[in-house]
Amino acid sequence: MDEKRYLTFALTKGRLAGKTLSLLEQIGISCEEMREPGSRRLVFVNEAQRLKFFLAKGPDVPTYVEYGAADIGVTGKDELLEEGRRVYEVLDLGFGKCRMCVCGPARAKELLLHHEMIRVATKYPVIAKDYFYNKKHQTVDIIKLNGSVELGPIVGLSDVIVDIVETGSTLRENGLEVLEEICPLSARMIVNRVSMQMETERIKRLILELRRLLAEEA
Amino acid sequence: MGKSLLHTPEGVRDIYGEEYARKLFIEHKLHETIRLYGYRDIQTPTFEFFDVYSREIGTTPSSQLYKFFDKEGNTLSLRPDFTPSCARCAAKYFMDETGPIRLTYSGNTFLNTSSLQGKRGEVTQMGAELMMEPSVEADAEMICLVADALKNCGLTDFQITVGEVEYFKGICAQAGLDGEVELRLRDFISAKNYFGAQELLEQQKVRKDQAKVLLRLADMVLGASDLTEAARLAQNDRSLWAVERLEELYRVLQQYGTDKYVSFDLGLLSKYNYYTGVIFKGYTYGVGDAIVTGGRYDSLLSCFGKKGPAIGFMVVVDDLLEALTRQGLAPSLREDGALALYEEGAFPGALRYAQEQRAKGVCVELSPVKDRAEAVRFAAGRKGKQAFFFPAKEAPQRL
Repeated sequence: MDEKRYLTFALTKGRLAGKTLSLLEQIGISCEEMREPGSRRLVFVNEAQRLKFFLAKGPDVPTYVEYGAADIGVTGKDELLEEGRRVYEVLDLGFGKCRMCVCGPARAKELLLHHEMIRVATKYPVIAKDYFYNKKHQTVDIIKLNGSVELGPIVGLSDVIVDIVETGSTLRENGLEVLEEICPLSARMIVNRVSMQMETERIKRLILELRRLLAEEA
Repeated sequence: MGKSLLHTPEGVRDIYGEEYARKLFIEHKLHETIRLYGYRDIQTPTFEFFDVYSREIGTTPSSQLYKFFDKEGNTLSLRPDFTPSCARCAAKYFMDETGPIRLTYSGNTFLNTSSLQGKRGEVTQMGAELMMEPSVEADAEMICLVADALKNCGLTDFQITVGEVEYFKGICAQAGLDGEVELRLRDFISAKNYFGAQELLEQQKVRKDQAKVLLRLADMVLGASDLTEAARLAQNDRSLWAVERLEELYRVLQQYGTDKYVSFDLGLLSKYNYYTGVIFKGYTYGVGDAIVTGGRYDSLLSCFGKKGPAIGFMVVVDDLLEALTRQGLAPSLREDGALALYEEGAFPGALRYAQEQRAKGVCVELSPVKDRAEAVRFAAGRKGKQAFFFPAKEAPQRL
């Protein structure tokens, strides 16, 4: 091909994006435009290296990558599990570490020991359903909430919640605790299936360099 | 009523005008190529008994099939793909045939996929099946046919990735994994999910050296594209045989001159469980997933009572068209033929002209107009056609 194709990255808005950029900078991939404060642009270009970057909401990153709108994406494992998109999951970037947990007041522990029906509030209905149906074989009523899930058991909407726990301080402040751990989470790099076949060399090199870097850090 | 009737259900849509013309054109191009290889057309029903697509056959998960009942209470299903139907036909109509059977099909397939994920519920597939022919030359014929068909449609930049299911199955058997675990591992490997695969293998306490080979299949970077390396790692006959088969295949592909489009990946596996040997996928820019899938399914025919090997492929025509369009390679189809536009009273003259031209094989669109101005507007909307205006009182004019 005469002109090298752009390799497009979809990054998760917020802390993950900053950490991803720092990591990429260490292997010589940078995007000055993105560091400009107060910029309202949506797509950032590194012309010299033929790279494009854009920011998206976490759950949308796998969608962009599945359809090939982005070749590469970085998002949390939670979003990958929840969305179930058909992408290659190639790297555990090691940051953004947290856990997906069943949480609730201490007295709710009892409810998880039997197979009786309970109410679960969560932002992650797919993960919650998979855990209770396929791993615990417990019938549950799942209530999808869009934020401040901790409220569920406090105001009596649900018995327990399924949510991400990082330090657990929000839980403790509200008299809740981790009852069961579902799985560990961290930031993952995902690649579009076609891009991996068509741009194999460029993407492989990138992954190899990141892998080397991560191994050094570990 | 009214406006609410204009919408189609989610996942299906109308294809019309220029887009449909282009779609028909590439369907024609694909069919032309497949026909050149001696494949004969077959039409199978749009729906069949559910059992034709059941779990035992190893096709689409039941939850993604459109199912309904006939009057006797049998469960029916809209076809999710053609291969089981073709296998059924081969078993039914060619029961005593021992020589090769070459079939080609084209039609719409249906999937009841999850909502709001932007997935289509109805796509056109065209494909070919070569049955009762176990040779490596048959494998090569399929792959070269795919390459030729894609080239004939105008695609230049594409990649056919070839794998061998037996390589994976050989190692699984050696490691003593049961069917359920093998299925889960296959999902991880086909998603190149290294960590998922690693976790599963640790849970199953698979021997270190065997786990290493399996993990390598899921590893995009180290990969499993080097056949010599793959042969060195495999320590069982089944896997070794698979690698040998691919090496042989590569030699035949070289004779065809198609080798430059082909790369190997022993980690390539399919969600269709009926594949038994060589499998392949065709990729190009502009769409998020493979536009061609295919492979060998030597045990599928026996599900319908006929023993025999088979290999096939299918192209998702809609995806191919989308890829061509996004790459700026879509065929530009010029409308040809003529327009005969007549004022009130000029119909006989216009009709005579239209019939003469149609007899010569020229397409003529015949329509009434109010006056010359309307005829000019009409003609402007049919670029590329010769427009004739038949006024009521004067001689016909070319616009």
